[in-house]
Amino acid sequence: MGLKADMKILVVDDMSTMRKIIKNMLTQVGFTNISEADDGATAWPLIEGAIKEGKPFEFILSDWNMPQLNGLELLKKVRATPGMEKLPFLMITAEAEQGNVVIAVKAGVSNFIVKPFSAQVLKEKIDKIFGK
Amino acid sequence: MNMFDDPSMREIVIDFCDESDKLFDQLENHLNILEQNPRSSSDLEKFGQIIDRIMGAAKSIGAHEIAKFCELGKLIGYKSSQISDIPLIEVVVGVLFDSVLMLRKMNQALRDGNDKCMNKLNTKVFVTRLTWLSEKFKEIERSSCAIGGNLNQNSIDDLMKSLGL
Repeated sequence: MGLKADMKILVVDDMSTMRKIIKNMLTQVGFTNISEADDGATAWPLIEGAIKEGKPFEFILSDWNMPQLNGLELLKKVRATPGMEKLPFLMITAEAEQGNVVIAVKAGVSNFIVKPFSAQVLKEKIDKIFGK
Repeated sequence: MNMFDDPSMREIVIDFCDESDKLFDQLENHLNILEQNPRSSSDLEKFGQIIDRIMGAAKSIGAHEIAKFCELGKLIGYKSSQISDIPLIEVVVGVLFDSVLMLRKMNQALRDGNDKCMNKLNTKVFVTRLTWLSEKFKEIERSSCAIGGNLNQNSIDDLMKSLGL
């Protein structure tokens, strides 16, 4: 694996089953430093805290549909934060519509992945995002 | 991908069943409110949001029948939240109650790994009923947070490419 295994990753999904599946996949492809949050609203303090500690997240994978703060809103908050304008942000969705994809691209999403997906597809997305 | 047949993923399947059972309770709570007050469109929208969560995870573990039910339930929930036809909403609430009951049975069959039990549930008839109901909302544009038709991964990849990503 070209990317560093201990890259700091945050998985955001309101369904714990999905968080487990995604964490398993990330582990399968070699990553070891994975945190999780159950909503954009709970992810945001983690992101802010990591910045304050001087160890910001290096990659965020977030579901789109979440009850309190959805993936798009989280993405916008991230992009509005100095130093996080280019933070790799992969949006996960069960259903994606063209208009929404365009909105997310305008908001600065790095890429999209549609459920269900395999560890291999996830790896390909990560490689693409990190320009491998 | 189908993790359903992979013994090492059995734990995730059981977690899914446990989590879904709790979400079915939430779905029924929203339907109970709607039964008392069919004008409470926000509860239909919340129903759509919750069932969407189950759908995504069901797709990911290869529980396709559960995912299909959830997909139709989500569509009906969101679309019916935008209408003011109370008799139709009452029908919707009744069908969605039955759907959650069926989802519970399918979830139990999944937990038990009992394919025979799943086959006995005759889900196809129910899917037909849900599809019929979803057709009633054809004229309503929005079916989710989405505005139009949904894209698959390849279409998204093409779109991202055309947008320079």
